[in-house]
This record gives sequence, structure tokens and C-alpha cells, in this order.
Amino acid sequence: MKKIVILLTLFALIAVPVLAKKGNKITIAGSTTVLPIAQATAEVFMNNNPEINISVRGGGSSVGIAAIMAGTVDIGNASRHIKAKELASAREQGINPYENIVANDGIVIVIHKDNNVKDLTLEQVKDIYTGKISNWKEVGGPAMPIVVISRDVSSGTFEVFNKIVLNNAKCIDGALMLASNNAVVSTIATTPGAIGYAGLGYLNETVNAVKINGIMPSKATIQSLQYPIARTLHMYTNGAPRGLAKRYIDFILSAEGQKIVEEQGFISVE
Amino acid sequence: MKKALLIVILTVVAFGILNAETKLKMELWNRWTYQTIDGEVTKNEMALKRGYLRLEPKFGNNIKGRFNVDFFSDDDALDGVGLKLKYAYLDFSNILPIKDSKITVGLMKTYFGTIYDWTYQTIDKDPSDKYKFVSSTDYGFGITGYLPNGFGSYALAAYNGEGYKKTAGDINKDLNFVANLRVTPIAGVTVGGSYMMKTKKDSEIADSLGTMIDNPDREEYSMIASVGKFAFGPFSLLAQYLMKDKNKPNVDDYEKVNTTAMSFLPVFKVNNNFDILARYDIYDPDMETDDDGYNTIVAGFNYHIMRDAKNNPKLFVQTNYQMKQYEADDSDDVSELMVQLRWIFSETINKGK
Repeated sequence: MKKIVILLTLFALIAVPVLAKKGNKITIAGSTTVLPIAQATAEVFMNNNPEINISVRGGGSSVGIAAIMAGTVDIGNASRHIKAKELASAREQGINPYENIVANDGIVIVIHKDNNVKDLTLEQVKDIYTGKISNWKEVGGPAMPIVVISRDVSSGTFEVFNKIVLNNAKCIDGALMLASNNAVVSTIATTPGAIGYAGLGYLNETVNAVKINGIMPSKATIQSLQYPIARTLHMYTNGAPRGLAKRYIDFILSAEGQKIVEEQGFISVE
Repeated sequence: MKKALLIVILTVVAFGILNAETKLKMELWNRWTYQTIDGEVTKNEMALKRGYLRLEPKFGNNIKGRFNVDFFSDDDALDGVGLKLKYAYLDFSNILPIKDSKITVGLMKTYFGTIYDWTYQTIDKDPSDKYKFVSSTDYGFGITGYLPNGFGSYALAAYNGEGYKKTAGDINKDLNFVANLRVTPIAGVTVGGSYMMKTKKDSEIADSLGTMIDNPDREEYSMIASVGKFAFGPFSLLAQYLMKDKNKPNVDDYEKVNTTAMSFLPVFKVNNNFDILARYDIYDPDMETDDDGYNTIVAGFNYHIMRDAKNNPKLFVQTNYQMKQYEADDSDDVSELMVQLRWIFSETINKGK
């Protein structure tokens, strides 16, 4: 009996702090695409709720999903859907990834400001990225070699581009693989023959966006799914959101939160 | 066939390393073992119990390879060191019209019980590896995949049957087959089972006159693994029951040998860096024979010093106290204290190529 009491006491000493409720803190990690939404909404949410502290970091979609699986964050951001392997592994570990769609985004094909190409087909973009088309004159542009810029393979943006545009085909050797949407846009702005892709929110006046299959990326064409390279942005929680995480996600999905989403250059969820 | 397959895969892997995105990974296990039997110190050893160098070239998004060389340096190994080829396989995804499935060819994982996803939470091996039910890898081909909505995974595979170690004596012309299914109906509750048909030695051999006769050494095995996994918050429990029937079909009066093993592995995750764990194994090599088995009790902890961005272990210490208790009264218990430092590093080259 004495041994049982000692064992139970030891167990309680270890288990109670582990199971104890965390303070008023929400931890978030993951996709660099979702990062500006998380940062901007967290700032306003914390201003409205000074007792709550939100910690936000990037790392990429894979990191966000891994963090939810490990239970090290409350919210894992991802600009892609969870993979079958990740989902099966998470559920085995007792984690039930729940997908909260917080915004829509279009991946915009971006070229240098001086390039006169206005329209490409999805097939032409694929041919450029796989090396079948290597000069702008082949798609009605100037006689100039194409400089292919892509995202690093661990980014959710790459995974969506890879799935929708490349259809899993291999990207050309020698493509510049950059680590962020900002890096892609700023490199294209200073490289006359460049082509790249970035989330709609990162588009600015230093570069040109091209139509895809005759459709210009815009809020309306992305929300209506007319624009071919559109995606949803996610915040994953373990099960349906509860407590502070629910309050925060509810805020993002509110009219005020969705206004912030749009201010960040993304498309609101209807 | 084995050599030809290996040469093809090694060529593809070598080509891949130069021309494709390739993940390089190395893992090392430095272990101190202090063993006593009946109060006498029988082992006090520091060794590199296992190390491996792994290359994973990616040939686009649909073809991926894995090449893995295991090495070790300890007193048990011949000349104190050893080297084994552990994996050399290619995965082909999106070939079959089944979502989230792939075909694997080469020296690949054996999809039986938990041997294919064993992460060595305790220092000891997976039960089906430890009790010699199956080899952890073998030459073969298979189809693996995931059920929709995270409901589980499946595998169907055919193997040479000789494993990757010293197996020349077991070689025959028959393939072995395995079917494996794991289902997670609700998050945290997983049940699964595997069935394997395995043979050793050919069923016929030539006698001194060249006439084919039944081989009395022919062995046929039928093996089942039942797996239950439960995970709730910081607690998890892995339970496994293994059963093996051995038959010698060409020996008239041979009585089947039925081997069983049970294993329970509870883990309590104190925080992201500290796990407390225990393990209890019961092994009976022949159900019809008394006092031939043993139980193993393990208690220990894992302390993670460093993790990577995806929370994978990079550097951690494992400490296990293990006691082996024989059923036979005249056999003494074996106690072992093991402290192991595992360190892992990886890098991806030719990113996005």
C-alpha cells in the first residue's frame, strides 16, 4: 500500500504540471505565406485582449504541421493541405489535425516590369519551368533568355505550384530556388528576363503579373476559382479549435479579421 | 537476381546523387553497456552500436530512392567492426490509379508488425526483430499506401525471404509474402495486423543420382502480428502480440513449433524533450515446451538535447535499465544498464533539382 501511495505521489508530481492548463498564451508556427495574416491578426487580437499573448513564427508549412503533430504549438499554419502520410501519422499519435481555412490566395505568375508578355497558358508556364521553352520570343515576348525562379521545395507555395502547374514534372536544372515570396518578387524586379511566382499578397508595382489562360489574378477570379492557380490558406489545430485558439480563429474569420486578411493582400473567405 | 537488382539500384542511386535533389543523413549510436549476471559483471563496454549513412535521392516528385549503409564497432562484431547494406530501394508514386499509393522495389522494409516504423524509443529492438520473426529489410517489391482521411495504412509485398544478413543457408527459390493493415478509426486508437508466409530451403533437392526428392530440411512458416496503439495526451501504449507456426512439411512426424511473443510499451511524455518509458516483453519460443522462454522488463527515459525545425530528434540521450528473467529456475537473471547517445545530422543537396 505504501509503495502504491509513493508511486501515485510521484506520478502526480510529474503529471500535474504537464496536464495543467497553459496560461493565456497562443503559440503559432508554420507557413511563411500565412505568416503575415497571423502576425497582423495577432497584433489586433492582442490589442483587443491585452491579457492574451500570441507568439507567431514561420518555418514553412511542413514545420507548422510537424509542430501540431508534436503538440508544440496551438496552431500550425500551412499554405497546403496536410498530406496523407502526415495525417495518418498524426492520428496514430492521438493528434486529430483540424483544418481551419482562414483565407484564399492565388499564386501569381510574375515577370519583369519591362517584359511585354501579358498572357500565358498553364501549359506554357509548365514548359518554361521544365525547360521546353527557354526564350521569351517563343511566347510572343522579346528575344531574351528566360531566367526561371522558383521557391524552395519545402515551401507550401512550391507544393501548390508543383501540383497545379508542373503536375509533378521536374523543374529545370539551374532554376533559382528562393526562400520566400518577397525574395522572388524582389529578384524578378531586378532581373529583366525573369519569371517567378508568388502569393497574390506579395504582388507590387515593381513587377508585372500575367494572365493565365486569359484570366487575370484578382479577388473575384480567385474566390470564384476561375483563376487556375488558386489555393486556400490554413490554420491547423488539434481537433476543432477550443479555448483561446478558438477565440483567435473566430476573430480571423470575423468581418474585422477578414478585413485584415484583405489588407495583407489575400482574399477573404466568403 | 539479388546482385543484378542491387547493381541497378546502386547505379540509379549514384546517378541520382549527382543529378537530383538528395538528402544525406547520418545517425550514430554511442552506447555504454554494463551487464551483470548473478552479481557478476559480464559486460562493461563502450561501443558504436549502430551508425548509418543514408542517401535519399529524389528524381522528381514521383520517384524517390533510399540507400542506407549500416556500420558498427563493438566487441560482438567480427574483427570488432561491421558493415551492412540495409536499404537500397526506389519508391514510385502516382503510378497506380490508387490515391496516396506507391510501388517500392529493392532492398526494402519488411511490413510486418511494427518493425517498419520502429523508432527505438527503448534501446532494444522491435519485438519481431528481437525474437527473430522477420528480418527488418529484404529484397522484394510491394505496394504501400494510406487509407483516405488518415484512417490508416496498408502494404502488400513479396520478398526473397533471406533478409539482409547472413542467410546463405536459408536461400531458396520461393518468395515470401506479407500483408499488413493498420486502421485508426479515431485519433489515438490504432489497431493493426500483419500476416506473413515464409519458407526456408527448397522443397526438393537432388539426391546422389540426380533424382529430385523431398527436402527434409524444408521449413514453412506462418506468422501473425497483432498491434494495438493507444495515445491520449502525454500517454501512449503500444501493445503487440506475435505468433509464428513453424512446420517441416517433408518430415512425417514433425510437430509444429508454435512461438509467441507479447510486448507492451507505455510512454509518458513529460514534455517535448523528456519521455519516461517502460517495456515488458514475454517470449515463449515453443508453446509446448516448459521453461524455455524469458521475460524482459525495461525502465528508462529519453532526454532530447536538440531537435530540428520539424521537431525530429537531432541529439538525445537514452537510458534503459533492463532485466531479463528466464523461466528456467537454473538460469540466472541478466541485468543491463545502457546509456546511449544518439546524434543525427542531415543535409539536402541539389535542392529543387
